[in-house]
Amino acid sequence: MMTRRSTDCLVAFAGGMGLAVMVHCNSLAAQHTTPAFASWVAHGIGAVIALLLVAVAARATHGAGAAGGSPRERGPPPVWAYLGGVPGTLAVILAAVTVNSRLGLAGAVALMQLGQVLFGLVDDVVGLFSTPTRRIRRIDLLVAICILSGSAMIIFGRGDR
Amino acid sequence: MIIATMLAVFNGVVVSTSRGLNGRLSEAVGPLQASLWNHTVGFGFLTVVLGAIGGWAFDPLALPPGAYLGGCLGALLVAVSSHAVSRLGAMHAALLLIGGQMTAALVIDGASRGHVPTPGRWLGVVLILIGIYLSRMPSRRPS
Repeated sequence: MMTRRSTDCLVAFAGGMGLAVMVHCNSLAAQHTTPAFASWVAHGIGAVIALLLVAVAARATHGAGAAGGSPRERGPPPVWAYLGGVPGTLAVILAAVTVNSRLGLAGAVALMQLGQVLFGLVDDVVGLFSTPTRRIRRIDLLVAICILSGSAMIIFGRGDR
Repeated sequence: MIIATMLAVFNGVVVSTSRGLNGRLSEAVGPLQASLWNHTVGFGFLTVVLGAIGGWAFDPLALPPGAYLGGCLGALLVAVSSHAVSRLGAMHAALLLIGGQMTAALVIDGASRGHVPTPGRWLGVVLILIGIYLSRMPSRRPS
């Protein structure tokens, strides 16, 4: 039987698969303009679609007070929590810079993944962004080794270079 | 080379920061509203930056239809990643998103360029799937 955690893990994995499709589409857009404009278009369309999703969710819950998904706490969030879109756009520019450096696409992606996981580790241990701290277990590190080494084998194992 | 390496790792930190902020917001307003704020703030910020730099060399009609799908998917995927960060923690969410992304990238590469995956790449997928299986073990939250 699927536990709630298993479902969350599968949803995150499926989300990652969707991210690959999204990057593929955004790179199509970037070929016809610049990475910054491609990101601008993607953010504009994303905002409209997210607004529709929030409206549909609000209608579905119909006054249950949980429009836009299921918040896990009440009360106003800190102002800085609304600024996630700013580093999101910065990442697009940094990606363009690093991919076009001597690192190339494979090296830039691998190092970016390493940065994500290491910062995630610090975030979990310290509780940055006022989130709950989590103890890192040996199995968590084993998961990190499996996924990062598997990812590196996919990135560097093309066999045509 | 060292600067490029540091910038690439820093980019991962930037991506994680965005996810962390959206995850924090998601806990208060829900993942869909977090996605709406992410895209609206990002769009506004880029509009200001591009306006300051100048040169709007952009023709929306020149883009192929598939190029617009990225934005549609983004709305849903930011919600998914915000939900994942708040439920699984930042490191686990990052690992699962990376695992899914790399597995799908291999399929897209194969479908669009006719690349048959090498044995090394297949082994990479197997390692990722082992990692996903192990990640299902529940974690304790001391606080």
